[in-house]
Formats: sequence, C-alpha cells, structure tokens
Amino acid sequence: MPAATRPIRIRMYRVGFGDFFLMSVPVGASEYAHILVDCGVHAKPVAGAMDAALAQMHADTGGRLALVIMTHRHADHISGFASGRAVFATMTVEQVWMSWFENPADKQAQGVQKSLVATAARLTAALAAAGRADDQHAMMAENITGQFDVAAGTSSNDIALGVLRGFKTAAGAKTPVAYFSAGQTAKLPPVLVDAGLAADILGPPTDLALVAQMDNKPHQYLAADGGDDGAPLPPFAPAFATDGFKWQGKGPPVYAAADVVAHIKANQPDVLAAAAQSADNAMNNQSLVVLFTFHGKTLLFSGDAQWGNWANLLFGGAFGSPGHTTLTSGAAAMLAKLDFYKVGHHGSTNATPIDVVNMLNEGCTAMCSTAIGAYGHEDQHTEVPRVPLLAALDARTHGRLARSDQVAAGKVAADPDAGTLPAGIFTADAHGFIDYLV
Amino acid sequence: MTKPPPSAADGGIFAATTRLPLPATRPLAVYAFDPSRGRRLGNTMTVDVAYEPLAPGPVGERFAVVDYDGTQNTYYTPVNLELPAILMRGGLAPSEVDPRFHQQMVYAVASETLERFQTALGRRVHWRRPSAPDGTDIDDRPNRLYLHPHAMAQANAFYSADAHAILFGYFKASADDAGHNLPGQTVFTCLSHDIIAHETTHAIVDGIREHLMEPTNIDVAAFHEAFADLAALFRHFAHSETLLDTLQKTGGKLHALTLKTKVAGEIVDPEKKAQIQADTIEANPLLALATQFGEASAMHGGLRSALGSPPTPDDIKTKTEPHDRGSVLVAAVFDAYFTVYLRKTEPLFKLWKPAGDGDDLPAPLAELLAEAASKTAETFFTLCARALDYCPPVDLTFGDFLRALITADLDFYPNDTDGVRDAIMQSFRLRGILPDDARYFSEASLCWPELRPGALPVPRLRFGDPNGLTSAEKDFDGAILRAWAQKKATLLGFDPAFAIKAESFHPMFRVDQNGKLLTDMIVELVQTREIPRFPGSADPATLTMHSGVTLIVARPPQLLGRRAQPYVRFAIAKHYSPEREQRQRHAFVANSTERSGPASRFGINFALLHAGD
Repeated sequence: MPAATRPIRIRMYRVGFGDFFLMSVPVGASEYAHILVDCGVHAKPVAGAMDAALAQMHADTGGRLALVIMTHRHADHISGFASGRAVFATMTVEQVWMSWFENPADKQAQGVQKSLVATAARLTAALAAAGRADDQHAMMAENITGQFDVAAGTSSNDIALGVLRGFKTAAGAKTPVAYFSAGQTAKLPPVLVDAGLAADILGPPTDLALVAQMDNKPHQYLAADGGDDGAPLPPFAPAFATDGFKWQGKGPPVYAAADVVAHIKANQPDVLAAAAQSADNAMNNQSLVVLFTFHGKTLLFSGDAQWGNWANLLFGGAFGSPGHTTLTSGAAAMLAKLDFYKVGHHGSTNATPIDVVNMLNEGCTAMCSTAIGAYGHEDQHTEVPRVPLLAALDARTHGRLARSDQVAAGKVAADPDAGTLPAGIFTADAHGFIDYLV
Repeated sequence: MTKPPPSAADGGIFAATTRLPLPATRPLAVYAFDPSRGRRLGNTMTVDVAYEPLAPGPVGERFAVVDYDGTQNTYYTPVNLELPAILMRGGLAPSEVDPRFHQQMVYAVASETLERFQTALGRRVHWRRPSAPDGTDIDDRPNRLYLHPHAMAQANAFYSADAHAILFGYFKASADDAGHNLPGQTVFTCLSHDIIAHETTHAIVDGIREHLMEPTNIDVAAFHEAFADLAALFRHFAHSETLLDTLQKTGGKLHALTLKTKVAGEIVDPEKKAQIQADTIEANPLLALATQFGEASAMHGGLRSALGSPPTPDDIKTKTEPHDRGSVLVAAVFDAYFTVYLRKTEPLFKLWKPAGDGDDLPAPLAELLAEAASKTAETFFTLCARALDYCPPVDLTFGDFLRALITADLDFYPNDTDGVRDAIMQSFRLRGILPDDARYFSEASLCWPELRPGALPVPRLRFGDPNGLTSAEKDFDGAILRAWAQKKATLLGFDPAFAIKAESFHPMFRVDQNGKLLTDMIVELVQTREIPRFPGSADPATLTMHSGVTLIVARPPQLLGRRAQPYVRFAIAKHYSPEREQRQRHAFVANSTERSGPASRFGINFALLHAGD
C-alpha cells in the first residue's frame, strides 16, 4: 500500500474526566473525513469546556462526520451527545458503531444492559439513603445511568443513546448503526475505505464470563443489603439483648471484648462499594476496541476496556485457563508495531495490563484523557490516573505520552500536577485540545 | 455411710472406684439442613460433639461463640450448655426465635466439621495464629476461633483471618420470590448446616497452610470455594434418614437432580403442573447446598449444586468467577464419587430387577445401598482432606490438586480395588482439568514423583505422637528443618540467596493396608521475594511472591533393632519462574477490585467473595 501523502490527525479535546477524540483521515488532495470516538464527561468536568469543544468539533468537521464510534455507554463517553444535542442536530453522520451489547436484536445483550442500569439506579438510591450520595461509588452508579434531566424527563444517557441512534446521513437517510464483537472486520464508509483505512474489532468478547461476572451478581449484592426495604428489624425479642459478654472460658480470650467488637465492625464488607465497582467494571469491559490500519500505520482505541476484555484480546480467552497463559502471537505482533494508543480508562491501573506496556512498540505515541482526583485513592494504589502506570507508559514510549489535562481549556489552565506536554510531538496551539499527527 | 479407709498397701495409686467416667460425646440438636425444610423428614438431627466442659457462649477449647450483633450494636444472651435443663434434653430444641439455639448450632456444627477433618487427617488441626491489633502474632493465649452467629444484617457469611473469626449474617428474604420462606422473613445464615460447614472449612484450610489463600492464579479462590463445598456436600451422605429417603425417591440413583414424587403409587409427570403439594417436584437434598439461603435471595433453589450440567472441557476455559469455576471441580469430584458408588452397588442392582418404574426399593436393599453411599462418601471426603497434605505450599492449581488426590490415594491404598483413582482421572479429564506439566494422563504420570528411600535423609527429626508435638519438640524440629533446608537449598530447587522458612510441620500417623503403623511428617518450606509491580518502570511498588516445597518425610520403622534416619519421600515444589511471576502480577490486577476494611494480608477477601452468593 502506498504511503499516505498526508498524516491522520488525532485531536483530543480536554473536557475533564471523559473521552472526546476526533480522528481526521486525509482524503483526496486536501480534504478530511472525520471519525468521532466518544464524546462525554462525567466526573470533574472542566467548566465550559464541553460546549466549547463541541463548537470546535463542529467547526473542525464542517458538520459532517463519516463515522461515530461509541465505545460504551458510560456518561463519561457519551454525555456530550445529550448536552450537545443541539449541535449534533445540525450534523450529518454516515455510520454509527457500537458494541454488540447495544444491539436491540440481541436478547441477551438487552438483558445485560437492562439489569446493569436497574442495578445502578438502585445503587444510587441505596447510597443516597446511606448518606453517601457524594462519594465516588455514587458517581460510578450515575456514570451508568447518566444524570437525570428534569427538562427532558429522562436520563442524560438515554438522551445520548437517542441522539446516537437518530442521526441522518448527508444524503438525508437514516444513519445505519452497526454492532460488533471481537474478531470481526468492520466495514467502513466508502470514503474512508478509498482513503486506505481499515478497521479490525478486537473487543469486546461475546463471552459474558470474560466481560464480568455480571449475570446477576450486582443485583445480588443489593438483595444482600436489604435492598429497598430499609434497615432490618432487630432479629430477636428485646429480652435476649444484653450489655456485654462475661468471659468465663479457660484461660484468657484471644482478644479483649472491645477488639472483638472492633473486628466485627471493621470486617463488614462494604457491599454497596463492591456492587458499584463491579457494575463499573462490567460496563467498562463492554468497550468496543478498534484497531485502525492506515497505509502501514496502526492505531488502537481501546475505550475503557478492563481486564476481561483485554485478557481475551491478549491471551485469546480467560487468562490462566488452559491454552490461555501466554500472549498470542497476533497480539504480541500487534503491540510491537503499534503507532498510536488511546490509553484506556483515563489511565486507571486495571485498564492497561503490564503486558501491553512491556510489549508496546517503543516508538508508539499515546494519548490519555484524564483528570486528577476523580476516582480512587493513592494510598490504596487505585488513584486514577495511576501515576506509576503513566510513568511506565511514558518510559516505554520514550516520552511520547500526552494527557488532556496538560492543556488549558474552558476557564481552567493546564493542571500543573499533570506535567508539561512533551514538546515537538504534539501540538496544542489553541485552547482546549491537543493534536497528534500519525 | 462410712468412707472406705485409705489403703496403705496400694499407696493410693488406683483410681477411686466411685469416680464417674466422663462422657465421650455431648449430644446437641441442630437443623440437618436449614429451617426452610421445616419439619420434613430428618430435618432435625443430633450431633455428637466430642465432650469438653463449656463456659457460657459456648466457649470451649477450640471455639469461642461471642454473639455480638454489629448492626444492632448489642450482645445476645449466651447459652450455657452446662445447665441441667439443657443437658437433660440433648441441647436446646431447634428454634429460629431463640438466639441461644443459634449459638448452640454454630458451636455444634463447627466442632463436627473440625472433628471430621482431624479424623481424616489423623492429627490435630491448628487455626492460623491470630494477630494482635498491632499486627504481631498472639502466641500466649489459647488459640480459639471466634464464631459470631449474628455479626451483621447482611446476606453473607465469611471467614475472616483478620478477625480470627467466622462472621455470620442475617437478612430479610426476598419480598417477591422467597421460595419456601415467607416473603420478607428473617433468614439466618448461622442456621444453615452447609454454610457453617463451608466457612469452618475455610478456617481449617487457612490454618493448615500458611500461603494457600494468596490468590496468585485464577484457580486459587475457586479451589477454596470448591473444597469448602465438597466438605459440606459429603456430610449430607452421613445423614441416614435423608439418605434412605432419597434412595427411595430416586430408585437408588443418587445422582438424580430431582426426587420422584408419588401420589397413590403413581409417578408424577414432571411436565405436569403440580396441583397439590404432594405433586411438587423437589430437588435432591443431597446435592443442593444451602437451599434456604439460595431461595431467600431469589436464586430459585439451592446456592449451588454438586452436579447440574453435562461435563465439557470448555467450562474450565471460560468460567472465571470463583464459585462458577469451583463448581467445575466439585462436579468432577462428585462424578467420580457416583461412578464408584454405582460400580460398587452394581451387583445389588443386578439382583433386584424392578418390575416397573414405580417399584419401591426393598428395605434391606435400601439399607445396603445407603451403607455403600455413605461409606464411599467418607472415603472421598477423607481422600480430599488428605490430598491437602500433598499440595504444594503456594500457588495451587486444579491440576496440582488432581495430582495430590492421585498421589494421596496411591500412597494410602496402593491397590485401587474400588477404582477410585480411575474414576477421578476420567471425570477430571472430561472437564478439561489437567496438570500443567504431566506428560501423560496416567496414574504413574499424574502421581508426584517419589524419591528413592534414604536418598535424601533429614537426620534427627522428631515425630512426637498423634496428639502433636510438645513445645520443646517444635523448637527442636524447627531449628533442624531450617538448617537442613538452607544446606539442601539448591537440591530442593530453592534460590540459595533467599532465606527458607519452615512455615509448618505436622507429624501424621496412619495404618497401612497391612496393619502397619506408618509415621510421616508434612513440612512446608517457603521462600519469599519481592517482585516489581510495574517491571520496566522506576516505580518502587512491589508484590510479595512465595515459592516453596511440601516435604513428606518418612520415619522408617525399626529393623533388626535399629532405626534408619528419617528421609524425604515426596518433595512437591512450586518454585520461582518468570512465568509464575508474570502470572501473579496478572492475578493481582484481576483481583484488584477495591477492598473494603483492612487489607493487611494479600489474601482472598471472603467478605466480598461471599457477599450475596
């Protein structure tokens, strides 16, 4: 295949904790065809940035998109379709891609989505009842349902999905929505095919066990907590209650009475947190993972894929099970020649496996949309973005890693804690986005 | 009455003729399954717990029941099982409304489970050493495991090494789909015989092996769930009333998933909708675990079943959730169990040809079948328990457990008269459970390699007696083993650069098929190293990785008045390799869902693993 005369441009808009990427593919002598990969922000939005970015994207594309990819339906990947529905109403789209989980004809997929959204709604209520409406697990739950939009009478995620399914093509026809799973080769719009672009779908797997232990597990966690019935009543007649425990065993007890009480209290599992985490992982693992090939260059967009989705991609199945203990040769070869990597899940520790970092082409360039302080705790090594992971990626790519918070956007300056944008690789001349030419 | 005069002639060395012998056991009433089976046949039973004096709680030598409710912030009155009114009737009668019965039941069933393991292993089982709130080991107090029957209002029960306790929860049954429960009624996990046995098994395994609960690969958590389920399930077959009833209702085919219901001598068509309760299809109680818990949380029936889907090698490749994956192992063991049971009872079935499907088993035949079923169950439980001793000390896989089963059985019963090993090999193969490194799927290839007698002596090791080692013997053996291991480090496959710890050593006594007493010692030798969390980066974060060898050291019998030095019979190793290092890093990522509560130990978080399962 002849080398392209002009490079692809990847534009990462800074909106806060959320993905908003525009990939512009050169067609003809001076034109571009545009692919939008996600458009959302949920936690830590940068004030005013989403509206500005939407206007910028409209200008960048002239209101015409060849393809829109929704990796998964978390608010931090799709909220822009709802808040910016007026902007999108003026745009045309030739194709929309989603994962097989969104296929309305797939009963199993519909069941999974319905159960996840219902779980998230119950979690939101249960966390609010427990006075925890503001903690990060409530954010995780809301990320699944989207915020409730009072004016529209529905959730922002539902509005966004409606927008995604309701586009019109330039010719005025209804935009087709295609659903994919790992192993498929996607059919791009003709203009992109003619430009020399190809796309392989590497995730999500169709095996639900890999995506998460999601069948009805989160629901059970909630049943476990008493669900909507509120606090349980005392289980016994009051006459059985006593003030203390008089130790009369032979020899001293292992623990003093106060330590026993402290143990019982400290070891109560936080089922709400676990349920929120598990639902969050399940949704992230639905991410559509797309590998683009363009005149010998390869670009990987992994959405927020986490361990199960990656395990399938890297090991061809559940890691550690027979036949799936070493990196497949295909995956190793893919990583070894990768030219661009969209860092998964805003740089969280479980979204970029160590193998990926270690096998990555040292000349690869990576981009990560993120915001400090949205999720996790540094002392538990769960902070997002995970500092050592980004450091490892930065080392592996010899400094070719850009973070969205390294550029000013909206009314906010670049985050000094994010470090400076590597010079000479990326450009960030304008306010609100970073460019990379592949 | 006159007191007999003290006899000067015998020096007072004889025991008083008037003394009362202590009872061997204490009978205590418990639910055979759980309260949801109501007064159905055989749902209350008596457990004969080894007699020991009990303080209120009950608090005995091995367990301390302390009934503190962390949700209601209150204690419940502890039961005093020494009260005459309670002693006289064999313990309090089963009741859901009296917490004192709950305390009695957790004590009785936990003790029963511990005794079954001690009998199978031929030695005393120790709990993990408890640690003080500041993290130091507590060595100076009697090591009792705490049981908290009403620790929290939650559909959960779990063993916690941090609390040195089993915490049982209680919860409201599902409001719309509660099975045999009243919608919204309170369900107590501490009244489920299966749940108590399951959780006690976790504590027992954690006490036997120091590092086996570190989730270093995909099989570890699944193995612990499977093993605890096996211990709970095999107990069902010791309950003769239920066993006989099930034999009748399955026509002797104990592996049937449902029972035949019979109304006026006619078999009910399972397709037909039940009109009256006698028509209702009932699940085989021997194969279902924790029925009430499962139904109360709207899971339609038991928590898990020993069987349930046809064997396929695909399950092991795709099932990753610990309970799902564990059920593959449970099914493999039960498949082997039923194969052996059917093979052993085949002649009986040949003698008795039913005239039609509806024929009842003749009572004497049912008795013979029940005996075969419960004896075979005992054999399998004992084999599973003993196999623990033949497992590597760290990083266990299903394949390792298969090798341990085969080796343990071969070691105890060189003649496989009942075809146990063959049945196990076939049922594991059908489910794709294979060891990583065995070259052939044959008995000789699956068995861990045995060392030549005398080739690797461990001089001067002391074996104590079946009641264990004295403190002095422990100190002596510990010093001997550490020095020996460091000297033989390279031969044993260790990296001589790292210290070797003797984590545990237990003498084991057994009688072989010829009636000879055999004495062995099971020794765990372990090395610890730190591996980088992010290799290739400057990040200093590390993970702790263990490698180790399980030794089975034999004490040779005396021969012509002399005794040769003890020698190693088996050295079952799991050593460092770059692949293992990588695997552990992956397992860490796969397990890295947020922990709640103190995560002081890299271990399976049973609190979350068991939540709502």
